[in-house]
Amino acid sequence: MKLLTHNFLSSHVKGVGPRGFPLRLQASEVRIMPVEFNPDFVARMIPKLSLGEVPTEPIQGYEQNEDFLRTMHHILLEVEVMEGTLQCPESGRVFPITRGIPNMLLSDEQTEA
Amino acid sequence: MHIPSCQPHKVEYVSGKVFFTTCSDLNMLKKLKSAERLFLLIKKQFPFNVSSVNKGKICNEMQRLINDDPESWLNTISIWKNLLELDAKKKRLSQRDANLLKRKMGENDTVITKKLKAEQMQKTQENREYQLEKQAEEETLAQGNFLTSREKLQLEECQNEAAEAAGTPSQNDLTFRVSCRCSGAVAKTFSAQEVGRIIGIALMKQFGWKADLRDPDVEIFIHLNDIYSVVGIPVFRAPLASRAYIRTAGLRSTVAWAMASVAEIKAGALVLDPMCGLGTILLEAAKEWPDAHYVGADVSDAQLRGARDNLKAAGLEDKIALLQVSVVELPLPSESVDVIISDIPFGKKFKLGKDIKSILREMERVLHAGGTVVLLLSEAHCRSLTDGEESSIPSNSEGRRTDEPGAEKCLIPEGETGTSETVPPSLEASNQECLPKIPPFGSLMPVECYKVSLGKTDAFIYKYKKSHSSGL
Repeated sequence: MKLLTHNFLSSHVKGVGPRGFPLRLQASEVRIMPVEFNPDFVARMIPKLSLGEVPTEPIQGYEQNEDFLRTMHHILLEVEVMEGTLQCPESGRVFPITRGIPNMLLSDEQTEA
Repeated sequence: MHIPSCQPHKVEYVSGKVFFTTCSDLNMLKKLKSAERLFLLIKKQFPFNVSSVNKGKICNEMQRLINDDPESWLNTISIWKNLLELDAKKKRLSQRDANLLKRKMGENDTVITKKLKAEQMQKTQENREYQLEKQAEEETLAQGNFLTSREKLQLEECQNEAAEAAGTPSQNDLTFRVSCRCSGAVAKTFSAQEVGRIIGIALMKQFGWKADLRDPDVEIFIHLNDIYSVVGIPVFRAPLASRAYIRTAGLRSTVAWAMASVAEIKAGALVLDPMCGLGTILLEAAKEWPDAHYVGADVSDAQLRGARDNLKAAGLEDKIALLQVSVVELPLPSESVDVIISDIPFGKKFKLGKDIKSILREMERVLHAGGTVVLLLSEAHCRSLTDGEESSIPSNSEGRRTDEPGAEKCLIPEGETGTSETVPPSLEASNQECLPKIPPFGSLMPVECYKVSLGKTDAFIYKYKKSHSSGL
């Protein structure tokens, strides 16, 4: 799971609502995977991010600041959490991340292929 | 190196086959995404008149397909040969280039590569006739080598090339195999095997070619129905629809690509497939529109494992994230997704745990205002969406769709033998009505509907747009 993906996830536990973001991430195994740098893509994703207490207005001209974009690229796209957990900050419910895939099923359902 | 721009022209669409002319090379043609197979056209003419039940007479007519105009057969075969040679040369060339880089280049080598390049430039100037076959039809197959869904395109030849190529002696030692499809009136009188035999014998007599059912040089494909008689040569051994980058296909790739292409995926979009299965739709979308963030979700361990394998095999792991979640309980904030594309499972293979309305409701929740939902629905899904929900809307729901002025198109590929009682058995594509009509779902406004064939069944690509809360 990339950190970019993590930034889009929020808790769907019943009754939690907006207090379910962000999910607390604990990683026990992390991999750095090189990804081709696409500055345009990174620049477009930045306004979509929810950065918590950070001021929501990015610095003027961030789209042209290559250093900034490269840093964001590395953090958002090149860090892969392979094993770990996601925790709903409100309810405390824990969801495992296994081989890079978070399992956030609320009930025990699973369909056989 | 300047490659001439080879836009297809003289495009003609007839009941599941698209005929076009182009001078593109095999590499470009391989990139066609919404067609099942590609053929080089030999002949296209009016259907055989079988109203007189004189089999012998019709048999003669079939033979005349070859005997009246052997030139066009030989021309097409030579064009086909040239195409393959050119492609093989390019491959050898690129392999040679790779080898040259590894060791020091000798003078001889550079001369050879330059010569080959010059030849290639000539070849790309040609115009060739192609047929692309897309449509699924219920027909009998003689040698049974074909997929049920195809699209045919035709391209026109360059006359100079044709004149030169005619009657070259090297064409006498070709081996061939005839594959035949018959439907409509012709099929009542002739079986596909019979037609295959008639054509096969005529070819042997005319050109001296030998039949080889196991591994022929050339495959001759004949399609006879009530609309046309078409003969062509498959351009590639593997159908276009079989993608090199998809290890295990779920939904057929042509339909997956078509869904992604109507979804309006813009750069920087967050695209979700909440029932991704093996990830076919996401793979097609990420391959064609790489500047978006793709997320696939499924409840099944097995499907996700398959999807992960597919992503790895395609080299698209960086573009597509996977989650194990349920489509009716998505761990996403409201209004956070730009595009949703999904093949809603139906049929015996999958058990749909949740009903389609709860699924749509959750999709509606996570979608941005102005966002797009593209779904592949079965007729059963369409029916359950039409019943009950939004009953205050009259059958003509035009008034509600303020965003898209009267945009219910219905494009094509319709089976010739007509598939269900709700579909008019017309042989031409119907542009006026899209059956079945689906009403808006909450703030999701229907935009377009396309009927597609999945081989044994038909399905509908349905596109919705989420309206802004202010508009009504």
